[in-house]
Parts: sequence; C-alpha cells; structure tokens
Amino acid sequence: MKLRNEEELDKLVICHKCYTIHQEAPIKDGTKALCSHCGSVLYRYDSKLANNGLALSITALIFLVLANIFPIVMIDILGNESYITLTKTFLMLFDSGFFIVGFIVMFLIFVFPFMITFLYMLIFALLYFKIGKNLSKDILVLISHLEPWSMAEIFLVSILVALVKLIGYAQIHMGVSFWALIAYVMLDIYITRTIKLSEIWMLRNRIYK
Amino acid sequence: MIEIDEKDLIRCPICEAVNINKGKHNVCRRCQSSIYKHTKFRTEKSWAYLITAMIAYIPANLYPMLITSQFGHREGSTILGGVILLWEHGSYPIALVIFFASIVIPLLKFMILIYLLISVKYPLGKDKKVNKHKLFYLTEIIGPWSMIDVFVVAILAGLIHMANIQILAGTASTAFALSVFFTLLSAHAFDEQLIEEHNRG
Repeated sequence: MKLRNEEELDKLVICHKCYTIHQEAPIKDGTKALCSHCGSVLYRYDSKLANNGLALSITALIFLVLANIFPIVMIDILGNESYITLTKTFLMLFDSGFFIVGFIVMFLIFVFPFMITFLYMLIFALLYFKIGKNLSKDILVLISHLEPWSMAEIFLVSILVALVKLIGYAQIHMGVSFWALIAYVMLDIYITRTIKLSEIWMLRNRIYK
Repeated sequence: MIEIDEKDLIRCPICEAVNINKGKHNVCRRCQSSIYKHTKFRTEKSWAYLITAMIAYIPANLYPMLITSQFGHREGSTILGGVILLWEHGSYPIALVIFFASIVIPLLKFMILIYLLISVKYPLGKDKKVNKHKLFYLTEIIGPWSMIDVFVVAILAGLIHMANIQILAGTASTAFALSVFFTLLSAHAFDEQLIEEHNRG
C-alpha cells in the first residue's frame, strides 16, 4: 500500500468488531457504510450531526436532572409507604456502612452519566460554533475513557427486576423519575451507541481543516 | 511517498484513528494517546486484574447477598440461593435474568479472558476458526450486565426499610461489585493488538 503522507491514513477505517481494513468512501447524507466482512456499521454520514447531537444531548441532560429529583417508584406494604430516588439508592448503602458498593454504584449511575452527557453537550456545542480545536480533542479522549463506565440502562433493567420481585408483596406506583429515566436511557443509547465516537472525530477533522 | 504493509496498520484504542505501527512505542497521531505502554508486560496487567476478580468472586458466592429481616428474624440468601428461591416461587423470567447476570456472564467472561490471554502467548486456536476479535467484543458488550444483581440489592435495600420488614445488603454485594469491577478493568487492560500479532505468527 502506498501513501503520499500520514494524512492519507485518515481515509482508512478499521472495523471495530473484526479488524478488517477499509478505504473510506464518500457516502450520501443520512446513509451508513457497512463492513464488507462482518456487516457491522463502520460510519455514517450526517451533515447535521452537530445540530442534532447538541439538541439531543441537551434534552438528555434535562431528563437526567428530572430523573434525579423525583421519586422513581413508590410502594405500599400493608399501609407502610416508602419511595426511592436515584440518589437514595446509594445514600442508603452509605448509611448501612457499605461504602465500597456505595461508591461503585454512585459512580456508575450518578457521576458518570452526568459527566458523559455534559461532555457530549460540550463537544457538540464546540463543533456547532466551530471553536476550541484543542479542547474538543481533550473532551473526546475523556469521553472514550469514561464511556464504558456509564450504566444507566443496566440500572433501569435492575429497577424492573426489583419491581417484579416485589409484585404480590406490595402495591407499586411508578414515579415521575421512572419515565424520565426511560427517556434518558433511550437518548443516551442513541447518543453514545448510534452516534459513534469516530464519526465525531471525522466531523472534527472536517471542521478544523 | 511512504510505502507500508497493510499489516502494519493499527487502530488507536481511544479515538479509532488508523496509525502506522512503528514498533515499541506508538503515539496516536490524532489524539496523542500512547498506544503501547509496555513492551515487556503486555498481558500481565490483564492477568492481575482477572485473578483479583476471580478471588473476589468466591466470597461473592459464599456470603449472603441479601438479608431479609422480618419481625427481628434475620435470613440471608446467597446468589444461587436467591435464584433457586425465585424459581420455586414461580418467577422463572426473573430467576433466569439473575442466573444469567450473576452466574453465567461472570463465569463466561472469566473463561473467555483466560482463553484470550493464554492464546495470545502460546500456540492455541491458530486455526482461526474462532474469531478472537468477536469474542473480545462480546466480553465488552455483556460484561457490565452482571452489575444487575448489585443494583437490584441496592434498590431493594433503599426501598424496604419499614419497622417490621427490612432488606439489607449482604457482604457478598461488596465482593460481587468488586469482582465485576475488576473483570471490567481486566478486559480494558487487554491489548487487542496482541490478537492481530498472534494471528500473523
């Protein structure tokens, strides 16, 4: 393979699933390029990525705040009422002396989701206004370090599992935060999984050229 | 004009940019993260985390995960005990979810990581019938889901703390959370480039 300079490497894509090397080809707006070997998505081209990303990440942040301030579920066992909020989940663990689990849970469902959503909002805002070339690089590196540690969607499934366990023993009422959390998880999956980090890097390359 | 072999192209694990493998120490040309940190100890870090995780997994199964306290009477249930109890009560889907999340996934991850770590060092699985990249990708996808049980315990403990009935977290929840945490660290410390190098021989 012959290349004129190192910049030409930007035209190459390696599949994240099976490591096959591809040459990047220009594709139509709103379409995606698939790996020729395993069929997984290599990259998509969206001319409005910065706009959409900014709008979605602001929405996600609003839903995440809502998910944190209201009760997630309320239960009623023989006249005894009780409710749980997202922060109460790990604060109760601290109260009963489980500091290690408390810290792990706190970071996985509270600190990292907030940081990641905020950082996505920041990076899309920078790309939208076409400013902060070096800052955007640092943010993207930070996001890729943090991303595997956000577990909001797993927490949502855990709530459902916990509630099914309680059926029969208690009356269950869903709180506002439960619906906000569902909305947040759906947006979060779109922002962090469907929009690939490499697409944001490609957009960054186009913008600051 | 640079001429390179296609096999010398590597992917930055942080930003996924394609880089030329220059040997010992590579710095990504796009995000400036270093791609190889160690030249001598490339699997040891991953091994260390994995062994820690496996050690933590033992008390996670022996101690009670959840303690139910009813009218002063305390009863603890281990992970497997909880699954069996749910199965006997007829909640099959939940029993299966917990069984997969707390027992199958951690054990599967241990086995895949052990296989990958051994196979990149010794001649094993050279026939390429097993796509190790896909196997590694699988561990990254399913790994975090074993946290379900810890979250369930945290939610139940937060929700049920009445005067007569209380649910408390047990010792196993600490051990289990640490086990999952170290398995995740082990998978992240694994250098995917080793698979590629080993396939070439």
